[in-house]
Amino acid sequence: MSSLSASAAPAEAAEPWGTDQRPSSSLAPQDLVEILNQLFLARYFDVRLIKEKKRGHLRGTLYSSHNQEAILVGALYGLEPFDWISPIHRDMPAFFLKDLKSGWRNPDRIGMSIQEVCAQIWGKAASPGRARDNWSHIGSRKKRIIHSTSMLASTVPVAAGVAYSERLRGSKAIVLTFNGEGATARGDFHEGLNFAAVHKLPMVTVIENNMWAYGTPLELGCPTPFVADRAKGYGIPGLVADGQDVFDVYDKVRWCIDYARAGHGPTVVECRTYRAYGHGDHDDDRANKYRSPEEVAEGRRRDPIAICKERLVELGILAREEADRYQPEGKSASEVRDEDFPPDVVAYVREGVQFAIRSPYPDAEEAGWWVFHEEGEPQP
Amino acid sequence: MSLAAESAVGAKRNYLQALNEALHEEMARNPDMICLGEDIGLLGGAFGVTEGLLARFGSERVIDTPISESLIVGAAVGMALEGRTVMAEMQFIDFISCGFDQIVNNLATFHYRSAGEVSMPVVIRGPAGAYGGGALYHSQMNEAWFCHSPGLKVVCPSRPYDAKGLLKAALRDGNPVVFFEIKELYRRRELEEAVPGPDEIVPIGKAAVRREGRDVTLISYGQNVYHCLAAADKLQEEGIQAEVIDLRSLVPLDEDTILASLAKTSRVVVVNEAPRTCGFAGEVLARIAELGFEYLDAPPVRVTRLDTPVPWVKPLESYVLPDVEKVALACRKVCSY
Repeated sequence: MSSLSASAAPAEAAEPWGTDQRPSSSLAPQDLVEILNQLFLARYFDVRLIKEKKRGHLRGTLYSSHNQEAILVGALYGLEPFDWISPIHRDMPAFFLKDLKSGWRNPDRIGMSIQEVCAQIWGKAASPGRARDNWSHIGSRKKRIIHSTSMLASTVPVAAGVAYSERLRGSKAIVLTFNGEGATARGDFHEGLNFAAVHKLPMVTVIENNMWAYGTPLELGCPTPFVADRAKGYGIPGLVADGQDVFDVYDKVRWCIDYARAGHGPTVVECRTYRAYGHGDHDDDRANKYRSPEEVAEGRRRDPIAICKERLVELGILAREEADRYQPEGKSASEVRDEDFPPDVVAYVREGVQFAIRSPYPDAEEAGWWVFHEEGEPQP
Repeated sequence: MSLAAESAVGAKRNYLQALNEALHEEMARNPDMICLGEDIGLLGGAFGVTEGLLARFGSERVIDTPISESLIVGAAVGMALEGRTVMAEMQFIDFISCGFDQIVNNLATFHYRSAGEVSMPVVIRGPAGAYGGGALYHSQMNEAWFCHSPGLKVVCPSRPYDAKGLLKAALRDGNPVVFFEIKELYRRRELEEAVPGPDEIVPIGKAAVRREGRDVTLISYGQNVYHCLAAADKLQEEGIQAEVIDLRSLVPLDEDTILASLAKTSRVVVVNEAPRTCGFAGEVLARIAELGFEYLDAPPVRVTRLDTPVPWVKPLESYVLPDVEKVALACRKVCSY
């Protein structure tokens, strides 16, 4: 049903940097290796959660980011530590990927630790929100991550407010929001982006177009061939990136980040990808009702890890045998094993999971705390 | 709060001037405060509540927004997340429904969800209330929606002194406050009075006894307070002495003042211009049933709007709304039980 072509003509010029060098060309070799490692990390984290969920260890719904990791890694890699992000339900890895390049175990980086993120997923007191709302509904003023709700695109007006407020202070920070293509039909998406465009706010709007909004295909939610075409209504650039290619995502989003930081205003970057599983793990079985196996296979054919590896081999950063050493690509969560991932990736996630398992639940009486801000209220 | 204290400072102000003065003072006092709303800058607000703010504080802090209520509230949330205090105007409180999700699901729950990390000093204010022929979409009192959403404080002043003092308190509270202004009272001459000075507030959560009496307690807020006071005058001639309580704050609710009055009168009538079913008068009666049942000598009575929208033309509008006669009738009923 859906058009899976990620290489079709973009809404704006395919390469907005024109005759300048593409942003990724100035990445150092260690950055390129780090980007591949972050892809491994995001994939392994997701796979681990799928397994934990199937074993009944986790409450709530898992929205898998499988096959969409290049969007998270590529978009976040171009940010400065002090920039803000607003992830959505499918972006669980984004909470620890933010500013990860400042050091995976660096306690001063402006992103969440793997321990905090796992404590949240396991519903433990060490979660940044003390497990009051579930899964992706966490944030942190200190870590500059906007708290989301289940009402998709409701973060867009909030992001506009943060961007406005930051700029008024003379700050150089920008705000990067993630949304699915389905959420772009909501009024909040329009109201937020309209205001951001009127005021030329430093905001980048990344659309993870995975072709399916729960059980509704793209063409029933968006009348234009590209979601990025919505940008035309606001007179702002709307770019289209190959969401399977981490470097294409990096290039396009990074261009938008620089554009925002230079004071030119907001942008939309549509990253075209495909949702590997059901909407949530509750939907994995029923997803066959609305998607054919052929369509799913085609959507998952171009694994972002494989594409990244090929690029590194082409560039001479990675030898072929190194690239072949760990091969999670093309494998589903039930097929893939720990040995398919670099040991430091497995160890890192294990640290988070073990911390979460060992951690206590919040005390029941906390349920009544923090409804209102009061003098002398408990400090988390 | 004595009348002497109220009249000690400043010139007399009407309800609208009192609100305007509060905004000017708080904007001057707090350089981190931002005002957002439709037509609040160049025009000075549809009614003039924000008059003079743009010229004095500039377009960066006084923002004329597009017609986007969800954006107004959502951006206020973002600004508060970044550390600001925000006044967000709804041009009419009826239009608040367009920003409802951002208020009840985002703003109201933010402090809770962030486990106390982030507070939301955001005041959403706007003109409310019927009796002026505003019809269905310029007459609403939808305060119950917000009283029913944990995390929001809800206030509704009936006079200039409280309008200024409560608005200043709301802007310093650190919690989201939904602020119901009664547009029919904005320019009413007979209400003009001295108002709090720059450093004074009226605390949120405290009711005021507007008239003392021993036979029946009338509990209300907003413009229905004046229907209650007029009914009390009428009943006085009939030998019934009514006490009138102006709640001022709905969340939190001043139960102590209500119960102290009931201990004296043993009879109660609650009046609100919102519709009957699940209206705030019902909540007041529920609290009384739980906490003050022993005080009661007669079944309590509500006087509310009928469970209809507010119709446009005068005969229809008057038919559905509380008025002095309906309030007096209810008092006679509970007093003759």
